[in-house]
Amino acid sequence: MRISIENFTKTFGDTTVIDNMSLDINSGEMLALLGPSGCGKSTTLFAICGIHRMNGGRLLFGDRDVTKVSSQKRNVGVVFQNYALYPHMNVYDNIAFPLKVRKESKAEIDRKVQEIATLVHIGELLQRRPAQLSGGQQQRVALARALVRKPDILLLDEPLANLDAKLRLEMRSEIRRIQLQTGITAVLVTHDQVEAMSMCDRIAIMDEGRIVQLSSPKEMYEDPSSDFVAGFLGNPPIAFLEGSVDEAGFRLANSEVTLPVPAGITLPGPGSAMRFGIRPEFFQPDNALKVKGRISFVETQGREELYDVTLENGAVLRSIQTQGGSYRVGDEVTWGIAADRILAFGPDGDRL
Amino acid sequence: MQRSSWLGLAFLSPALIVVFLFFLVPVVLTGFFSFTNMSTATGVKGGAYVLNASGLRALTDAGLPKSTLEQIEGAGYRVDAKGLEALALDFGKPVAEEFAKLHEGEVFSKRRDVERALKDLRSNPIRKTRDRKQAADLFKRSLMNERFDSPTAFEAALEEAGIPETDRPLITEVAYTGWVWTTDNFGFLFSLDSTWQYAKNTVIYVVFTLSFNVLFGLFLAIATFYLPAGQAAAFRAIWFLPRILPPVLYIVMWRWFTWDTGFISTVLSGFGVPPRNWMLDTEFHAWTTIVLINGFVGASMGMIVFSSAIRAIPASMLYASEVDGASRLQQIWYIILPQLRWPILFITSYQTMSLLTSFEYIYLATDGGPGGATEVWALAAFHTALNNYGGNLQYGLGATYALILVVIGLLASLAYLRLFNFRNLLVKPRIEG
Amino acid sequence: MKPNFRNWPVLLVLLVFSAPLLIMLAFLLVDAFTTKVPGTMIPNGVTLHHFRFLWTDLDDGSWGIWGVTLNTFNFALFTSLAVSAISLTAGYALSRLAFPARGFFLGSLIVLHAFPTVTLIIAIFLILQLLGLYNTLIGVIVVKAALELPFGIWVMKGFYDTVPWEIEMAGVQDGASRFTVWWQLVLPQVQPGLMAILIFSFLSGWSEFILPMVLAPGTEAQVLSTYLATMLLDGGTQADFNLFKAVGLFYALPVAIIYLIFQNKLMNIYGGGTKG
Repeated sequence: MRISIENFTKTFGDTTVIDNMSLDINSGEMLALLGPSGCGKSTTLFAICGIHRMNGGRLLFGDRDVTKVSSQKRNVGVVFQNYALYPHMNVYDNIAFPLKVRKESKAEIDRKVQEIATLVHIGELLQRRPAQLSGGQQQRVALARALVRKPDILLLDEPLANLDAKLRLEMRSEIRRIQLQTGITAVLVTHDQVEAMSMCDRIAIMDEGRIVQLSSPKEMYEDPSSDFVAGFLGNPPIAFLEGSVDEAGFRLANSEVTLPVPAGITLPGPGSAMRFGIRPEFFQPDNALKVKGRISFVETQGREELYDVTLENGAVLRSIQTQGGSYRVGDEVTWGIAADRILAFGPDGDRL
Repeated sequence: MQRSSWLGLAFLSPALIVVFLFFLVPVVLTGFFSFTNMSTATGVKGGAYVLNASGLRALTDAGLPKSTLEQIEGAGYRVDAKGLEALALDFGKPVAEEFAKLHEGEVFSKRRDVERALKDLRSNPIRKTRDRKQAADLFKRSLMNERFDSPTAFEAALEEAGIPETDRPLITEVAYTGWVWTTDNFGFLFSLDSTWQYAKNTVIYVVFTLSFNVLFGLFLAIATFYLPAGQAAAFRAIWFLPRILPPVLYIVMWRWFTWDTGFISTVLSGFGVPPRNWMLDTEFHAWTTIVLINGFVGASMGMIVFSSAIRAIPASMLYASEVDGASRLQQIWYIILPQLRWPILFITSYQTMSLLTSFEYIYLATDGGPGGATEVWALAAFHTALNNYGGNLQYGLGATYALILVVIGLLASLAYLRLFNFRNLLVKPRIEG
Repeated sequence: MKPNFRNWPVLLVLLVFSAPLLIMLAFLLVDAFTTKVPGTMIPNGVTLHHFRFLWTDLDDGSWGIWGVTLNTFNFALFTSLAVSAISLTAGYALSRLAFPARGFFLGSLIVLHAFPTVTLIIAIFLILQLLGLYNTLIGVIVVKAALELPFGIWVMKGFYDTVPWEIEMAGVQDGASRFTVWWQLVLPQVQPGLMAILIFSFLSGWSEFILPMVLAPGTEAQVLSTYLATMLLDGGTQADFNLFKAVGLFYALPVAIIYLIFQNKLMNIYGGGTKG
């Protein structure tokens, strides 16, 4: 089922949390709402499921206008961050609850519960209480309860935030598997870029109640529309060099060093501020565009090594390297930037 | 309106009805009642119009002309249906019928005239003088002790009796047995010396009991905090008992403890001290007992509240202070007491309020004695309106006493509202559907 | 805590202050079951004579202990049921539901919670007379329940506040109405609160003295507190404290049992504070 949010506005008292936002989510797609806390992603999710009412704009499921439809009648399944399992019911009753509320027959309920339990691999847990389950198992039960009544849309609110690192990896692929297997349209709310990139078809990255960029994970990583997006995606994060426009191109702040500007961008007027974004994998010893600096920090991550290189003007570049390990803090190095992968941003942060 | 609004109001409505009936209405009515002279004599509902001997006295005192007073007492002899009926009963129907034919509706001012009329009856005269006197008395009409349900009926009777119009309103007012609006209560209240005594007693009661409650509650909380767990639990359990035991039983124990056949007397008699009532023999003893009785109950509340506040202090903070070399007393003074500022404020304000208005323990223990020495304001209100030996319960005056407490209570509760972080309470419901 | 100071001075002070209580409690138990030579404190015989009120009438015009006990039980039970039922819905409304003037109602709740209700007794006395409920058990129950209500709602609201919102959101998403959500999903989570209020208001009703004394002084509606108080206040100097203590023990038995079972819970509730 296709979801269309048109000119959505949400206010709490005097504060406008979301202002005039529009978003289309394709049928069968899994879309991530990604952003720092307070950016309005959860508010958007709550508006889709009807817990929050919209102060302005429309919401359509397919062709149906559900703006004024109550939560109960929207047929949206939600998995909450803390799973919100009903503690006084066992797993079976938890999953059966949405069906019981709809007054389905006992046999029908049983059939559906068994079916969904098999799908999410919790067949042997049905008689347990939520308190007797591990985090991952609770997550699966919550998924089962959200999916058992065949909702048109599945909403996931930070579903992996309460899991430990290992389980998070497992559930990431599990949720994606179940989503693909059911073909349901899903919206994932998360502040974790890895989750968003690994699980979703598209990412809508949000900041201060606006969607900053909407595209596929790969495109968003390689072609961010602003320094905010570039900074939000990628681990270890991108490094920024501050500077200004010069006749030679880009001149580093407090320095005589200039760098050539990547081809095909229109520069703002001479003298105006500009930033270069350079991802760690594009700052390597072998690359052509050399800069001089001193290694100020080394972090060994096992397979890879992460270096911070402080340039003469005090700016820091990061480099991640798979081989080597011979450098130490204090070493003077002259490494190169992959000139064609430099991301240039204008004074307002927008990509040039 | 949303559906949850309807559900919310429906869920709230039973509470609203109850609160309306037993909080709002009583608060307002206490105000109203304090402007009435309601008492046992006037009743609570409306009254009737009756003139009795005391009413007559009041009228005399008010300077009503003597002639009017006589008119009230002896409003003459009226040949009416009521009298005729009585006549028929006592002297036979024919007499009554004939008398009615001749004189029905007539009014005689003197008994002799009636007697003559009876004597003059043609067919059935009453022969004996004594009988005639008796018969004539059946027609005697007086305004005294006659009951009228409405003021119009009473005024009509006055008019019929020929009482001058100028005197009627005063007589009607005096004759009314129900309650009336008045502002006299307030003036009267403050003209009484005893009122000021009650106020003074209340201050003594509140100040001493409150000090005991807070200080001893603090001591209990801090002491049990440092004692080994077993001892602490035992003391907490003991001190919790006064609060949980029914007040009446609690007072039974205190009376036994202090009375002349009780514990103190018996033990001291072993040392040659003559038995006496240690609760009531002197004012000082009475006050000491009252403060202890209330204090033992109040201290337990302080103990519970302070204890939980102390337990909320992170243990690491206490360990740190010990490592820093603080002695136990320094620890209490610099670490624990500052953390108890709000609980102490809470207990102080809360208990001031409840002590100001409570009278249950005093009523059961000394009942204000000896000689009114421990009669506090709330107890005075109770005694005036609901419980006194005189038997005439003055609801109106009692309500005036109570009104002052109600007003203080309302103001204090509003202040209390400010103490709370009301903003936090006002979190909006998160489901808006 | 490490023993870097001596406990015994503190213990001594505690014991001195606790002595009256300990003596009263000890002799409450002892005196109820024993006889003594007048003028001494040492029992010289065991007896059940002081409990004679259980099987004979004391000829003091009262209604007989069992009738009075039944009255007390009914009074406490129905008060507690009424308070619980009303608090259960009102607390939920104030905690979770959006409706007009919610802020006003919440503020009123705090004011009522702090308000000294005993000052209203004269007006309530007159209201009951006007309603024709004076001198009836029902009248006292209604008044007692009303006066306990702000506390009940306050406690219940506190319990509702701790139920995660997500449970309700999940219920709504699962298609349940707000009423169903309350009844099937939220109520089971606040059972401890319900228990607390039931116990608390039962005890409070069981111990209540002023209201029955003022509002229902007749024998028909007599409860144990007024029964014992009448004995105590009419006793004069000839007071038979052994009898009073036996009656008192009988009266306090349910309280003691509930106290032993729920001691810690009760301390927490009383911390919220109603009397004192």
